[in-house]
Amino acid sequence: MQNAKDSFYMALRGRLTTINPDRTVLLRGTVRPGILVEEAEAPVSQFPNDVYVLRWLGLGVDMNLDTTMAAEECEIVYQSCGTQSFGGLDRGRSLSEMDEELVAMLAPFYTPKINYSSTPPAAMLTQVFWDEPTITPVNVQRDRLSRSAKVMVYSYQEQGE
Amino acid sequence: MANNWFSAPAPVARRIRGYFAPVNRAAQTPTLFDPAEQGGFNLDAPPAPWISLGWIEDFSRKATSKSSPLLTGIPAAPLEQVRETLGAQVSLQFLSWTKLTMALATGSQHMNLLATASGAAPSADGAQAATAVSPQTGSTATSILLTSADAARFTPGSMVALDVDYTGQTGFVGTPVAGAFVRQALTDVDYIRRVTFNVALVSQVSQTGLTLAEPLPGGTPALGAKLQAATGFVDREGGSFYQEWSGLFVLQGSQGERIFYHYPRLQTAIGAEESLIPLDAKNKSGQSKVFLNGHFLALPVTDPLDGERVVCYRSFLPATNALV
Repeated sequence: MQNAKDSFYMALRGRLTTINPDRTVLLRGTVRPGILVEEAEAPVSQFPNDVYVLRWLGLGVDMNLDTTMAAEECEIVYQSCGTQSFGGLDRGRSLSEMDEELVAMLAPFYTPKINYSSTPPAAMLTQVFWDEPTITPVNVQRDRLSRSAKVMVYSYQEQGE
Repeated sequence: MANNWFSAPAPVARRIRGYFAPVNRAAQTPTLFDPAEQGGFNLDAPPAPWISLGWIEDFSRKATSKSSPLLTGIPAAPLEQVRETLGAQVSLQFLSWTKLTMALATGSQHMNLLATASGAAPSADGAQAATAVSPQTGSTATSILLTSADAARFTPGSMVALDVDYTGQTGFVGTPVAGAFVRQALTDVDYIRRVTFNVALVSQVSQTGLTLAEPLPGGTPALGAKLQAATGFVDREGGSFYQEWSGLFVLQGSQGERIFYHYPRLQTAIGAEESLIPLDAKNKSGQSKVFLNGHFLALPVTDPLDGERVVCYRSFLPATNALV
């Protein structure tokens, strides 16, 4: 299942680089695309603004099929306070921009499954696929607007996984 | 060594896509789809002459063929089965309103509302039309060359219909797709342009002619074809003409596998009807989407492979690396 999670994250990261190359984050001294996996970073009390954070939640397994199918729920959390040059008055626009980027990142709704724990990464036999996102209402905390989208990510368990 | 195959479970698909292609009504020749040769086509760019109608909803297909046992002996017991009737039905909802989806979802002619002549008497399917203009030599499927006076009669954002004058023909009329069957001679010189599928949107107008936003389905204007502005479409409940098209429906699975349903001959089976789907399920009296309902009767073709009469071909292209 880790391969599916990695493949989903890397697919979104690659697509974000194309959709908005300016959305980046400086993390552990490195400038990276503005998307990260919560469980793969150091615990923090507050994630950075204007960045997508992937949080893995539920897990379901269908073992009645010829090949076991795993369904993993991913919550994509993002928030914005707008930009300094506009005094934060553009925070609504900033969040809308992130909404549009998120929807664009999720299409098409599949990506090849790749084993990123090997060097170099090895293409596997199946594809990871997912449903349309369920997007929550905006949460307002003073000048911070946040939102999340939940996506059910499906994959087949291949031999050796 | 790791296996380079996997055991494929049932296909998982999100949506189904629909494509239609014309049937040559006069020659009774459908458009055939070859899954072996064309099955890997880009879903956004189908092979000619298939036309993508985008995603469709509520697709269902039903075999109406009936078999019965041939009984022999005492007591009678089945010796074998015989197919008594052959048939199939397809129903779906189109998610957009276009010339083609409207035509497919109506059981009769589908007509263009031609821009009317000044002061023409009202008519339910469009009053007498303004005079047609002739494209100049050198026109193409996307660029119609006109004299400056003729070009001035069109505006960007308007629609145009292009086909030949009606001069007393009978039988199937319209290019490239038969839009109607004329049983007895008519008097309307614009009749073929009223029923033609050769329509497009004008994106630009210049002193030398029109640039179209999409190519004319009939390609380069034929000799003698004329152009008229159209304002919309109209169809009628009743009449004796049935639309007939070749249909292709594609389900793409999560692993890249594809299921094709190819109906060489589909005739529209019922009159025009719509479904209202509320945008907000919690507010059923609010804004609603208006979907066109399509119901089709599949007609048989004779497969030249073995002479069998069939109404549908179902093909399956498995996912790469999947066990078969």
